[in-house]
Amino acid sequence: MSKESQMRAAINQKLIEMGERERLKELLRAKLIECGWRDQLKALCKEVIKEKGIENVTVEDLVAGVTPKGRALVPDSVKKELLQRIRAFLAQHST
Amino acid sequence: MKMEDVSLSSMDNSKMEGFAQEILSDLVEDACLGLCFEVHRAVKQGYFFLDDTDQESMKDFEIVDQPGVDIFGQVYNQWKNKECVCPNCSRSIAASRFAPHLEKCLGMGRNSSRIANRRIASGNNTNKSESDQEDNDDVNDNDWSYGAEKKAKKRKSDKNPNSPRRSKSMKHKNALLGPKRRVENQDSSCVLLRDETFSQ
Repeated sequence: MSKESQMRAAINQKLIEMGERERLKELLRAKLIECGWRDQLKALCKEVIKEKGIENVTVEDLVAGVTPKGRALVPDSVKKELLQRIRAFLAQHST
Repeated sequence: MKMEDVSLSSMDNSKMEGFAQEILSDLVEDACLGLCFEVHRAVKQGYFFLDDTDQESMKDFEIVDQPGVDIFGQVYNQWKNKECVCPNCSRSIAASRFAPHLEKCLGMGRNSSRIANRRIASGNNTNKSESDQEDNDDVNDNDWSYGAEKKAKKRKSDKNPNSPRRSKSMKHKNALLGPKRRVENQDSSCVLLRDETFSQ
């Protein structure tokens, strides 16, 4: 098991060092804006804010209120595309 | 390759898949967190709700979806049927024909000077047939007949010879008609400009 986790750690490091993680982040961000996910989540945030009041709302409130739905709302096509890229990277660099 | 290396270098597919999903999940979480931070900052700095307006104003500016009217609610073909009175010839002209009519009527604008040039260049022969063909907008055609070349020249020098527009069109004519022009209009003050450019 530890070999596996070692490998994972190694790949993660490569991901970051080669800048691929950054690129993936940007890609994801762009796709999410395009498909309207960001606006949906903003609307959810508005609700949380109205509930808690502008003065009192904290980052934790927002995160707790919004992240689970945020994960669920990511469209499948976006997920697919990113997974493809990730798999390609893994295949290339898992030696 | 040793057995160990082989197993190291290729985790089986399901594990790879699981790993990829994990990476994706991390990325999505990053995106969510990023959004939360942005929103939180916007709220605390006071600019989160800036683009909201009250319901009443929103209704005022809603998109209009009626026939005959554009999305702002303005009528867009209201100038179809209106007529305007020409200040020059005092005729009533349809609005959409008004601008071209004015061009010819006042003798300004590209087309009317082109036509005038063409007529002068082609001489007396085509005088009558051309004025028949053109629409009867041009009451001032009489001024442009060839016996009254002086009148035509006078009209030209009446216009401000120093305005950039004039010198531009002079240059333009110059290019089209060349030396012939020069000979005909040597006493026109406009020519001074042309001569300068020409002698370059």
